[in-house]
Amino acid sequence: MTTPQTTEQARPPFWRDIRVIRVAGQIGAVVVVFLILNWLISNLINNMNRLNISTSFDYLFGPTNFQIPYDPQFNPRSPVWEMTLVGVKNTFLAGFFGIILASIVGLIVGIARLSENWLVARLATVYVEFFRNIPPLVLIIFFGFAVFTFGPFPILSESWEVKAPGSDDNLLLINNDRWGVPGVTQDGSVAIFWAILAVGIVAAVLVWRWRTRNFDRTGQPHHRVLWVLGVLIIAFLIGFFASGQPFDMSWPALSENRRQVVGGFEVNWGFLSITIALGLYTASHIGEIIRGSILAVHGGQSEAANALALSAFQRYRFVVLPQAMRIAVPPTINQFLNLVKNTSLGTAVSFAELTALTKTSIGNGRPAFQSIVIMMGIYLAFSLIISLILNIVNRRLQLVSR
Amino acid sequence: MTAASPPIHRETWIEQVKKNLFRNWWSGLITVVLLPTTGYLAYRAFKFFFINGQWEAVQVNLTLFMQGTFARDEQWRLIAQILIFGLAFGVGLGTASGAAHDRADDAGLVFKRSSLADTLKRMWSLVAFIALLLFFASTDETGNLINPYLVVAGGLGLSFVGYQAFRLPRRLRNLGWLLTMVLLVLGFQVVSGFDAESWVPLSLILGSAAYASVPTEMFDTAATRQAVKVLAALGAVAVVFAIYRVVDAPGIGWDEWSGLHLTLMTSAIAIVLAFPLGLLLALARRSTLPALRLMATTYIEVIRGVPLITLLFMGQFILGFMVPAGTDLSDITRAIAAMTLFTAAYVAEIVRGGLQSLPSGQTEAGQALGLAPPTIMRRIVLPQALRAVIPAMVGQFISLFKDSSLLFIIGITEFLRVRTLVHAQAAFRGVAIAETLVFVAIGYWAFAFAMSRESQRLERRLRVSR
Repeated sequence: MTTPQTTEQARPPFWRDIRVIRVAGQIGAVVVVFLILNWLISNLINNMNRLNISTSFDYLFGPTNFQIPYDPQFNPRSPVWEMTLVGVKNTFLAGFFGIILASIVGLIVGIARLSENWLVARLATVYVEFFRNIPPLVLIIFFGFAVFTFGPFPILSESWEVKAPGSDDNLLLINNDRWGVPGVTQDGSVAIFWAILAVGIVAAVLVWRWRTRNFDRTGQPHHRVLWVLGVLIIAFLIGFFASGQPFDMSWPALSENRRQVVGGFEVNWGFLSITIALGLYTASHIGEIIRGSILAVHGGQSEAANALALSAFQRYRFVVLPQAMRIAVPPTINQFLNLVKNTSLGTAVSFAELTALTKTSIGNGRPAFQSIVIMMGIYLAFSLIISLILNIVNRRLQLVSR
Repeated sequence: MTAASPPIHRETWIEQVKKNLFRNWWSGLITVVLLPTTGYLAYRAFKFFFINGQWEAVQVNLTLFMQGTFARDEQWRLIAQILIFGLAFGVGLGTASGAAHDRADDAGLVFKRSSLADTLKRMWSLVAFIALLLFFASTDETGNLINPYLVVAGGLGLSFVGYQAFRLPRRLRNLGWLLTMVLLVLGFQVVSGFDAESWVPLSLILGSAAYASVPTEMFDTAATRQAVKVLAALGAVAVVFAIYRVVDAPGIGWDEWSGLHLTLMTSAIAIVLAFPLGLLLALARRSTLPALRLMATTYIEVIRGVPLITLLFMGQFILGFMVPAGTDLSDITRAIAAMTLFTAAYVAEIVRGGLQSLPSGQTEAGQALGLAPPTIMRRIVLPQALRAVIPAMVGQFISLFKDSSLLFIIGITEFLRVRTLVHAQAAFRGVAIAETLVFVAIGYWAFAFAMSRESQRLERRLRVSR
């Protein structure tokens, strides 16, 4: 019967009781943070009321009132939320093509840094050390102004025309403002085509499974990639002709007055400079990741491959790279995320991505607070989606390694 | 019977070329394609740098690139800052070298001191950039206030003098750190001036530096040592206060800085301010208290999920509304606030990495000794964790330094935006676009490359000392 008494005695005074301290500490921290936030936000609301600035989000449905550069289809009277969507689309496009460029160049540079050829390794090192240590904004402005606007390219009306071999159509239309590249036009029956292609994709997945199972059972070479490509090409051809050739190539050309690009697909200088600059910049980081990952693969793996008399290509393709990729993928996805965030520098080359449009919109009298909160929310959503992908990839890679 | 030693085969240069460039047919093919391409590019670069480039745009505006619109008749402040920072750099390096020597002695290892020349060689990119600046300055006909050669020679000389701090006896080692701190603050103040309120942060910095670094080995009891430390801290505060009372020397606050000077200073200020905030965030995120952890995690993840430019816009358009009406925050103050809040989240993640890398045995050992949790954190965990994250912190500083170019977008005249002023001049409207950009790029590159080399070296040394 003495036990409760002793615990009663051993109990420290309440200001040294760990349970009390924990609760009090948390309450204190929450209160401090709440007070600071409350102070900031009440100041904000007071000041905005005092200056008669709207605190509502109604402006999203009001007219945009300015023309988005290089987007003649956009009607300045359409609501602000449509402008925001255009910005998201352009951010996504720049990020997407930048990521493709960065991955290709990064992979090449990363492997080249480990090349046995002295010249190749040296050039790759120079590339990495150069691009890694320059602010991306300087690169973007360099491409935007020193290369495209004031660079070696002619003005729009005197565009260089790169002809497709054996025809009069332009493959490329090069000038200092907007490049023309071949595009595709489509007509009404395109839905049938997509339906047939979808069936083809399902068939391709099934064929992939079948080849894999066949390989697991018999050990025969699976040739999965070839099979799947074959199925997809056949589906494409069937769809194309069954739906009455819904697509037509459209080639870029100068208009009659030589002030516009007609046909094809138009790529403006802002997009070009931001994609190339960020692609090359991020490639230097990805190259370092690839190199580190290849070096992190245990040397015994290469030796084992040599002992099995695999060729240099086979050694890389089947032994080293699969293991290196497992290490490289998570940090590479982080670099992709950085690239998407860096597209926010597009405003320096008047590329109409989310940040640039938001900035113009604020300059046109739209409420700053709401616009910036929406912009940050969208970037946050981009980041969260990419982190989600990263987590899924991480989980899959871990499963493979077991 | 002696075994014949294997024949030593010295490779001739032909064999070396064959091995390194033509090992097999595809290696040879790549060489044959790349060699002329590289040669041609090198030729084009040579022509651009030495024959075709219109470098007058940079030459004439060299001072503009360095200090921007900073008042020309106050240029002596910048020169004094360079000299004082040179001395501080030397003292800091010498003290660090001395401390490394002490540790090597304790471990019974041979210590090889790296000379100042080695340091300069390591930072070759910076040396080359300064040489480029001197080359441009020598042909400048606008007449600089003070010969730039003298400034560079003075800075180097002072850092060499400061480096002699490694000769200080071991018990005065902490004094070297204190001196470095004082010099850094002094170098900052010589430009920003002794303003009315700046004595508060200054006395905080110097007071804590004095507390931490006053030599106390000659006193016997712990109580005396503690008293000496407190006295030193109070003394430092008193000295600072007295100086501010006597000296009323207004300077030029950061609102009027620009050019490369602003670029370097904003990144330095932001990382110094972000460090304590990041440390707190990291501790909060690692804490066992769910409320603290949740708040810290939310802050870190939100900030890391958005681009810096959105925060700069926040600072530019909204921060002014978040303070009571009538408070006037300058553009640069708001930009520094945004950069600090941004960097704090990244610093927090770096510090968290350092804390996680520490084996739990360290904490457990502290608990076994009956130390209180704050003491364990302060005396055992943090010193080791923070030492481990130094390379990553240098990396974060490089990143912040590069990101400071974003001030361009919100209209602050930092290094990159000086170009706008240059190309607004009648002589350079629409010409020499590439030249000024290449010069700015070289400037950024020189600093970032030197720092990245230093961070790699620190990483190697830390790994070895484990």
